[in-house]
Amino acid sequence: MKLSGLKSVDNAHDESLWAVTWVPATATRSPLLLTGSLDETVKLWKSDDLVLDRTNTGHCLGVASVAAHPLGSIAASSSLDSFVRVFDVDSNATIATLEAPPSEVWQLKFDPKGSLLAVAGGSSASVKLWDTNTWELVATLSIPRPEGPKPTDRSSSKKFVLSVAWSPDGKRLACGSMDGTLSVFDVVRAKFIHHLEGHHMPVRSLAYSPYDPRLLFSASDDAHVHMYDADGGSLVQAMSGHASWVLSVDVSPDGAAVATGSSDKTVRLWDLSMRAAVQTMSNHTDQVWGVAFRPPGGSDVRGGRLVSVSDDKSIALYDYS
Amino acid sequence: MACVYIPVQNSEEEVRVALDQLPRDASDILDILKAEQAPLDLWLIIAREYFKQGKIDQFRQILEEGSSPEIDDYYADVRYERIAILNALGAYYSYLGKIETKQREKEEHFILATQYYNKASRIDMHEPSTWVGKGQLLLAKGEVDQASAAFKIVLDGDRDNVPALLGQACVEFNRARFSDSLELYKRALQVYPNCPAAVRLGIGLCRYKLGQFEKARQAFERLDPENVEALVALAIMDLRTNEASGIRKGMVKMQRAFEIYPYCAMALNYLANHFFFTGQHFLVEQLTETALAVTNHGPTKSHSYYNLARSYHSKGDYEKAGLYYMASVKEVNKPHEFVFPYYGLGQVQLKLGDFRSALSNFEKVLEVYPDNCETIKSVGHIYVQLGQTDKGQEYMRKATKIDPRDAQAFLELGELLILSDTGAALDAFKTARTLFKKGGQEVPIELLNNIGVLQFERGEFELAQQTFKEALGDGIWLSFINDDKKSFVDTAASILQFKDMQLFHDLESNGHHVEVPWDKVTVLFNLARLLEQLNKSGTASVLYRLILFKYPDYIDAYLRLAAIAKARNNILLSIELVNDALKVNDKCPNALSMLGELELKNDDWVKAKETLRAASDATDGKDSYATLSLGNWNYFAAVRNEKRNPKLEATHLEKSKELYSRVLIQHSANLYAANGAGVVLAEKGHFDVSKDIFTQVQEAASGSVFVQMPDVWINLAHVYFAQGNFALAVKMYQNCLRKFYYNTDSQILLYLARTHYEAEQWQDCIKTLLRAIHLAPSNYTLRFDAGVAMQKFSASTLQKAKRTADEVRATVAELQNAVRIFSQLSAASNLHIHGFDEKKIDTHVGYCSHLLSAAKVHLEAAEREEQQIRQRQELARQVALAEDARRKAEEQRKYQLERRKQEDELKRVQQQEEHFKRVKHSFEQWKSTSKRRERSDDEDGGTNEKRRRKGGKRRKKDKHSKSRYDTEEIEGDMMDEQEIEEEDADTNYREPKTQMNDDDGGEENAQGLLAAAGLEDSDADDETPAAPSSTISRRRQALSESDDDEPLQRHSSPVGEDTAYMQDSDGEIRDRSKTNGDDASDDEKQN
Repeated sequence: MKLSGLKSVDNAHDESLWAVTWVPATATRSPLLLTGSLDETVKLWKSDDLVLDRTNTGHCLGVASVAAHPLGSIAASSSLDSFVRVFDVDSNATIATLEAPPSEVWQLKFDPKGSLLAVAGGSSASVKLWDTNTWELVATLSIPRPEGPKPTDRSSSKKFVLSVAWSPDGKRLACGSMDGTLSVFDVVRAKFIHHLEGHHMPVRSLAYSPYDPRLLFSASDDAHVHMYDADGGSLVQAMSGHASWVLSVDVSPDGAAVATGSSDKTVRLWDLSMRAAVQTMSNHTDQVWGVAFRPPGGSDVRGGRLVSVSDDKSIALYDYS
Repeated sequence: MACVYIPVQNSEEEVRVALDQLPRDASDILDILKAEQAPLDLWLIIAREYFKQGKIDQFRQILEEGSSPEIDDYYADVRYERIAILNALGAYYSYLGKIETKQREKEEHFILATQYYNKASRIDMHEPSTWVGKGQLLLAKGEVDQASAAFKIVLDGDRDNVPALLGQACVEFNRARFSDSLELYKRALQVYPNCPAAVRLGIGLCRYKLGQFEKARQAFERLDPENVEALVALAIMDLRTNEASGIRKGMVKMQRAFEIYPYCAMALNYLANHFFFTGQHFLVEQLTETALAVTNHGPTKSHSYYNLARSYHSKGDYEKAGLYYMASVKEVNKPHEFVFPYYGLGQVQLKLGDFRSALSNFEKVLEVYPDNCETIKSVGHIYVQLGQTDKGQEYMRKATKIDPRDAQAFLELGELLILSDTGAALDAFKTARTLFKKGGQEVPIELLNNIGVLQFERGEFELAQQTFKEALGDGIWLSFINDDKKSFVDTAASILQFKDMQLFHDLESNGHHVEVPWDKVTVLFNLARLLEQLNKSGTASVLYRLILFKYPDYIDAYLRLAAIAKARNNILLSIELVNDALKVNDKCPNALSMLGELELKNDDWVKAKETLRAASDATDGKDSYATLSLGNWNYFAAVRNEKRNPKLEATHLEKSKELYSRVLIQHSANLYAANGAGVVLAEKGHFDVSKDIFTQVQEAASGSVFVQMPDVWINLAHVYFAQGNFALAVKMYQNCLRKFYYNTDSQILLYLARTHYEAEQWQDCIKTLLRAIHLAPSNYTLRFDAGVAMQKFSASTLQKAKRTADEVRATVAELQNAVRIFSQLSAASNLHIHGFDEKKIDTHVGYCSHLLSAAKVHLEAAEREEQQIRQRQELARQVALAEDARRKAEEQRKYQLERRKQEDELKRVQQQEEHFKRVKHSFEQWKSTSKRRERSDDEDGGTNEKRRRKGGKRRKKDKHSKSRYDTEEIEGDMMDEQEIEEEDADTNYREPKTQMNDDDGGEENAQGLLAAAGLEDSDADDETPAAPSSTISRRRQALSESDDDEPLQRHSSPVGEDTAYMQDSDGEIRDRSKTNGDDASDDEKQN
């Protein structure tokens, strides 16, 4: 298993890049790359040459997260002004603008079937689920408040929800919060199941293995990547190696590898059979905010692709084999 | 059977005396001798016989009787025999004197001997045998020159007097003139070929001394094979060959000599020496004691004592060894003769801690052997022990130079250099390692450990890891260290259970041998520490636990585990681990200090103070870390004290200053204390001094991976900020962020934003705040600040005299953002997720929306104006075009005219011009440059002036706009007033101690301050004059606000302390003191 650099674009945005995702291929076009930045824009890029396809404006303050519908036709972006903008990928027509005051919006993810959009709700200590047909709020999955004295500002800020992830079957949803706890929900019954313990610092990214619906990976500011048995509620493995915060994690489509991006400016590839880092890419010169494997599918897909975006305003594309 | 016959007086008869049957009582014989008036030579013969039989008393009795005055009278005419008797007595006492060890008796004997000889001389001045005797006596007394004179007298009379020749030879030998001595011996041998063995012995010795070993050997071999001295000499020569066969042969001879005559000190010494090396100490002692008993020859005794001392030395009985070395040294007159005991004595004294004496002894050795490596090393070592490191290094360097293959010397040199020059130390260690390897020796673990640590310190992590692994060798740990060898250990599962030992129990029950040799624990610990540095904290944790599994008292391992937990923000677990360490030793200052830090991090102030006190007490206040922590505690207390009592704050500051100074007195090079002192100074407004301190600390802190001091960068930036040097402050903050925090510290981003704010770089300020929000999403104060910055930006743009429509448009957008942020905060306030006052936010919302509506008017106006300008420009352009055409025609005409004129002129001046062409050219050049300079000066002046003018205008404009606002927006202002007053209350309240930490406070502060100072604060906070009148109740309100958000910042502030336990023993403090407070307060003063 190996990563090799294919292409990189410097100054892809005017400011730091904070978010990246792949828009799956549709019948008419191949997969696209979607990036979001502090410069208040979302850009679409053609792979593998990373040619700029379009620049979307319409956000105020920085773009914190981007997500693409599994069918590839629509995408969503969230920004620091707490709006979610849902738009048509090919025409850039705004489909909906979502907000659920007073909660902020952080990471977004469409469920594997594409019928729901999950939004990490920040200080509301909850994940909001939006119906992708009607664009109405259909559920709020709240993290149960700890027992005891009345909630103070401190305890609630600890449950500030930053990240979300769907299990590959769409039945489970996990979210990560500022205090490092992960919460797993039963989506169908809209019920909280349990916490996953181990981190004590913010968890900024989560990813389920597409292969094994029980395996959940978390990236935390404590510089560790944890592998959990999300159903059993236990920690399987803690992987150390990054020198600073781990900001982003993604699992390869074959389920054999995990890629992470970190504040230490590196992208690491972890071999799950060895449970150790096998490769460290250091082409970025600042924090790597996002890593994403290209999902399988599409007609002219040539092989595995990994993309990383960074505070240094650049995008890097790698071949994964 | 030998007999003597004593003639009976007056008769023919003789008394037959069998010499082997002499009566026990000498008086019987004496009576006969006296009665028969026997010839004196008979007396002598009988006396000599007694002497031979060892009956010394009888011998003396006869001779004394034979030299009595009566005899003198009676045998007055028998001169030679009387002299002979006297000489015999003289010789006897000389001998006694020679063998006597006690000084007084010795002298008495010599005096007696002298008397006898003198008496003999009185009988006959010229008797050669008397002179020979005198010479021998003088020799025995060590008066070599006088002895020589005595022998010379004899030899002048008779060239071939054998005893005199021998005596003189002996003199020359003692004078170390061996060839002269050899000549004399030879002559003696020629004159008297049957001379005693001593002559050949002398020849042999001379040859030996002259280095003619073969001839010496021949001389010795010509002697009787039973001759002990010769045997010993031959044996020594054999031994000196330094070959195994030679030594064996020598020892055989030595042994035979011993069997023949067991009292030869030399043989005894050599045998002892031999048995010393074979380790038979009992024999050594017996032999040397015998040797000591039988000899009174200084050097030989010295040798014996030395042997004895060595024996005790090697047995570890240093007291006794020291005594015997001392005795040995006493027997040696000059160190040159026999220097070994000095070395031994030095070693023993070194061992017993008497460095000065040891040093003097070693120096004596160096006088003799200036290039002796061992001694040089010892001297170097002593200098180090005496604290004279430089001299120590000098000697060690010398040692390594003399013997560049001495691994031990390099090792010691390296150890010496560690403190002063790590690079050189590393080189020395590496050389030592190579030498050990070359020599086929095993490299000592300590050496590898030292190399590893130095490499670690220099940041050569990979090399360090290799070195540590080499030091560790094979063992159970390999299964944890090697990533690829996960064969039978799944370390992962237990990584989080910091206290889990199940892993090792499992291993043991699976038949694996879990063993950690004692000498590898330190290396293992260091390796774990290195792995931590390489971010492999999981493996490090397992190694620490492995150490604890085998050595549950290893406190540092607990503390490192606690530090790992702390780095992962698992405070409770960390505290638990520290408590485990305290169970081992509840007075361990390191553990107590760490506990204190953790409690501080947990916001347990009172407890933290107690713990830190305990840590300080545990070391009698000598532990810098504990003292520093207390200093920090006081500083934090001064800065955060909830009551904000200026008096209390001053005491806290004073106390912290005192504590920092105390540390500095103990360790003048303590960076953290210096940093702390700098902070306190800055807090008091002495920015220049504190800047100097910070700069020095910053310089000193660079270069070692063990010293990471981001705080000093921050503090320096704060000082620049306070002095208004915003550009430098920004640079410093950014460097600090990048260098130490991987750009992840939102707090520093906040400082940065604040600097941009002060520098009125609004866009940078807002972007920086957005980054900070992205990093710390749950920090609502950042959002508030962003809102404020946007508001401020918009307001300032709107008040600019000239602005484009685009600018106004951007302003409007920014205002919309601000409104959104504030309204979100407002909406969230009832959820208690942040600590802001709802009303305050609402006023901001109101103000911003109000500004927004105003801005829209401005926008329209600006757009209209822009349109007008565009139209006007179009018009102007057309006019200009027409003008242009006209002017061009004119110019064309003029040009024609000009050219014609020029051509004429050109012709006229062509010649001169050519002549001066070069000169003129250079002149021209000069002129043009000077002109340029002038121009630029003008420009500067112009812009300066312009700028000044602009400033003035702006102020005027401000007034204007102010009044306009006043009239237009009274209502809005009324609303604002309340808010601003609150803010000002905040400000005033913080006046003595404004903290940049409390973000919003800082921001508001700036507003309020600027306003208060009457500077052109474009924000509509014009109501500032009302500020001082703010009521106490409002102040309280503000207070409660700030207290609410305080814990947030407090929480983040001790971030820097996590590396406190970088090194096990000396706790370093990540002094997290900030100068923040004074920045703002100084602003006030300046304003």
